[in-house]
Amino acid sequence: MTKICKRQIFFLLACIAPIGKLIVLPTVLAASSANDLLLPMLAHVLLQAAVVFCALLLGKRGMGFYELLENTFGKVLGKAVATLFALFLFFAALLPVLEQKIFVQSIFYDTLPSLIVFAPFFLFAAYLMSKPLASYGRTWDVLAPIAAASLFGVLVLSVGSADYAAILPMGASGVRGFFGGTMSAFPWFFDGAILLSLLGKYDYEKGMAWQGALWYLAGGAAAIFFLATFYGIFQETSVQHLFAFAQTSKYFSGISVLGRIDYIFIIALAMVMAFYCILPAQAGVDCLLQAYGKPRYLPTILGVVVSSVYFFISLFVDMKFTSVLGAVSQTLFWIFPVFTVALPPLCLLLRRKRREVS
Amino acid sequence: MKNVTGDLQKNTDALKKLVPAEDIYFFDFTSDMGTPFTVVFADPITDKELLGELVVRPISHYGGPLTAKEIGKNIISPEMRTERSLEKLAAEVLAGNPVLLWEGMDEGIIVGTKKVFTRAIAEPSTDVAVKGPREGFIEDVKTNTSLVRRRLKTGELQIDFMEVGRRSKTNVAVCYLSGMIPSGIVEEVKKKVGEIDIDIVPDSSYLTHFLSSRPYSLVKQVGTTEKPDIFCAKLAEGRVGLLVDGSPIALTVPYLLVEDFQSSEDYFVPSYRATFTRLLRLFALIVAIYLPAFYVAAQLFKLQLFPQKLLLTIAGAIRDIPFSPSLEMLLVLLVLEILNEASIRMPKYVGMALSVVGALVLGETAVSAGFVSTPAIIIVAFSGIGLYAVPNLIEQTSVVRLVMLLVAGSIGTYGIILTTGFMLLYLVTTENFSTPLLAPFSPMIGRDLRDSVLKYDLGSLETRPRAMRSPNKRRLG
Repeated sequence: MTKICKRQIFFLLACIAPIGKLIVLPTVLAASSANDLLLPMLAHVLLQAAVVFCALLLGKRGMGFYELLENTFGKVLGKAVATLFALFLFFAALLPVLEQKIFVQSIFYDTLPSLIVFAPFFLFAAYLMSKPLASYGRTWDVLAPIAAASLFGVLVLSVGSADYAAILPMGASGVRGFFGGTMSAFPWFFDGAILLSLLGKYDYEKGMAWQGALWYLAGGAAAIFFLATFYGIFQETSVQHLFAFAQTSKYFSGISVLGRIDYIFIIALAMVMAFYCILPAQAGVDCLLQAYGKPRYLPTILGVVVSSVYFFISLFVDMKFTSVLGAVSQTLFWIFPVFTVALPPLCLLLRRKRREVS
Repeated sequence: MKNVTGDLQKNTDALKKLVPAEDIYFFDFTSDMGTPFTVVFADPITDKELLGELVVRPISHYGGPLTAKEIGKNIISPEMRTERSLEKLAAEVLAGNPVLLWEGMDEGIIVGTKKVFTRAIAEPSTDVAVKGPREGFIEDVKTNTSLVRRRLKTGELQIDFMEVGRRSKTNVAVCYLSGMIPSGIVEEVKKKVGEIDIDIVPDSSYLTHFLSSRPYSLVKQVGTTEKPDIFCAKLAEGRVGLLVDGSPIALTVPYLLVEDFQSSEDYFVPSYRATFTRLLRLFALIVAIYLPAFYVAAQLFKLQLFPQKLLLTIAGAIRDIPFSPSLEMLLVLLVLEILNEASIRMPKYVGMALSVVGALVLGETAVSAGFVSTPAIIIVAFSGIGLYAVPNLIEQTSVVRLVMLLVAGSIGTYGIILTTGFMLLYLVTTENFSTPLLAPFSPMIGRDLRDSVLKYDLGSLETRPRAMRSPNKRRLG
C-alpha cells in the first residue's frame, strides 16, 4: 500500500482527470470561445500532456517532491517552496469543491436544500486527506473503470442529439476567443502539479513518462469529444447550461419511457468527482507532511483544518458561485500556469544527485 | 507438574483430585498374575465396549513383564501412547481417551477409544448446489479432515492440530498445501490462533474475530464454507484453511470479497452461464442495497429520477400514507428483518402460520389500511430477495442497506454517493494477511479478473490467483 503503480497513475490521468473538466468548464469555454471551445481545450490537453511527461520524468530520480527541493535549496528554502506549493494546491481545490457543491445542489435536489446536504462532503474530504496519498492508487483502480464506463454511457446517450456541424467553422471566434478560453480554463488543469506530489510514491519504469503523456492525451481526447457533443447539442445556448455532463444525455429518446436512466451514470460520475475534486487538497496535505514530518495525528488535524476552511468558504459564497468562478478564472487565473505549467519542467533543473550528508 | 509414581493408589488419588467429576470413572481390575490395574475414563465420551474389548480383556489375561512397552503390545488399539504427567493424563481423560495405570509403573498408557458422536454427512443448508458435490462438513473435526484428505491425496497436504480454549480445549486443524502458501502466512495464522486466550470455542466464528486485521470492522475478513470441495479448491489456490471441532463451518484465509460472489456450481456449468450468474448476483446485491435508499431519496428530493408514468403510479399510491417516505421504508424494512429473524428461530411447525401472517396480514392488510404503500412493499420485497443472492454477506449487507436508507432519508442522493465513497475507501485500504480485500479489482490484477465476477473457461485459468502470492504459480498445463 506504500507505493502507487504505473497503471494506477495512468488510470488517474486517462479516466479520472478528464471528468473534472466536464462540469462547469464546457460552459466557461463556450462563453469565451463559442464554437471554438475545442481549441483552448486541445491546447490545454497538449500542454498538460507535456507537463505530465516532465513530471513523470522526475520520478526517475526516486525522490519525493520535498526531497528534490531540499536537495537543491536546503531545508529552509525547500520548506518555503513546498509550503507555497501546498498553498497553491489548497487554492486549486477550491473551485472544484465549490463546483461540486453547486452541481450536487442543482442536479440531485429539486428544492434548494439547506447546507447540511453538502456538509457531509467536508467530513468525507477530511477523511480522504487524513489517508496517505500513496494509498489512493487502489481507489483509482476502482474509480477509473467506473468513470470510463459512465462517461461512455453519457456519450452514448448524448451523441444522437448532437449536431457536430455546430462546431464549424473552426476559428470563427478568432485569436481573442482562443486566448480568452485558454486563460479562463487554467484553473481546471492542475494534473501535472498533482503528479509532483506523487513523486517518490511510485517506482519509475522505463518509458513511463511518454506512456503517461499518451494516456493523458487519450483522456483529453475523450473530454474534447464530450465538449464537441455538448456544443453540438446546445450550440449558442451552451453558455446557459452549467453542469455539462448532467445535461447532454437528457434528450435521449428512451428517457420518456425509461425515466432518467442517465442518472445512473451521472451519480457514478459524481462519486468519481467527489474523490477527484479534493485530490489537489490531499496533495497539498501530503506536501506539507513531506516538508514538516509525519507526527501521528498531523494528517488528520490538517485534513480537518483544511476541510473546515473549505466549509466556511462555501458558507460565505453559498450563492455567489459565479462571482468566485469569475474571480478565479478571469482574475487569478495567472497563478495556475506558474505552478501547473512552469513548475514541473523547472523541477527538471533541480539537482539530480543526492547531497552528501555530512 | 506432578508425575505418575509407582504407587497406584497415590496415582489414582492424585487423578481424582485433578478430575473430581462424578462421571469420571476409576475402574479397578486385577490381572491373572494378581497385578492391580486401574482404567480411568470419562463415562459419557468413552466407548466402554471398545475399552473392554481392546484394553481390559487382554490385560486381565496378561502374564508377562509389567513394562509399558510389553503391556502396550497387548492392547489392541492403533491409537496409544505413554505419558508421565498426571495433568496431561487428566486432560486426555477429559478428552475421552481412557488412561491405564498399574501398580509399580511410573507412567500411564493413553488409549484412543473415544466415543465419537457424529451426524451423517449431509448437504449443507448454505452453499447448496444443483450440480457438483453435495457433501458438507459436520461437527467432528476428524471426519472433516478425512473429507479433505479424501479429496487431496497428496503429501503436500499438511494438517496441523492446535488446541484453543482454556476450558473447551477445542481442536483446531490448520490445513494447507505446503509449497502453495507464501512464506509467513501459515506461521502468522498459527501465531494468531495460538495467542487466542478464551474460555471456550463453541464455533469457528469465534476464531474469525482473532484472525481479522480489523476485528471490529463490519467488513468480513475471513472466508467461510461448509463444503469440502470449496475448501479444497481454496487450499489449492494457496489459502490456509481452519477446521474447528464442533463447527461445520470451515474458515479460509486470506479472504477476498469476490469469493462470496462465486459459488461452487460456477465451476461445474459453462463459463458463460457462470459469468451471467455472477453478474446477476452482483446486480442483485447492488439493487438490494441501493434500491430502497434511492427510492426514498427520489421521493424526498428529486422526483425527476422516476419515469413519468411510474411517478404518477407512485404519487397515487403514497397519497394517503401517513408516514414520511423514509419512515415508511424503514418500518417495512424492519418488519422484513423481524420476519426474517423470527422465521429462522421459530419452531418449524409455526412457519406456515408466520408466512401467512407476514404475507397477508402485514403486507396486504397494511397496504389496504393505508399504513404503507404498495411500491414500498414491492421495493423491500425485491431488496430482501436480492440480498439473498449473496447469502454469505447477508450480515454485512443488511446493515449497509439500513445505513444507506437512513442517509438517503436525511440528505438524499449525495449522502448515498458519499457513503459509498467512504465504504470504497475503507474497503480498498483493508488488508488481511497482507492480501487486499478488494483484489483483483483493487489493486487490479488482470489475470485474476478471469475468475472474479467474470468466469473464463477452465482452460484459461492456468495460474493460481496472483493475489494469493503462491510460490507455485501454475495449476494447469
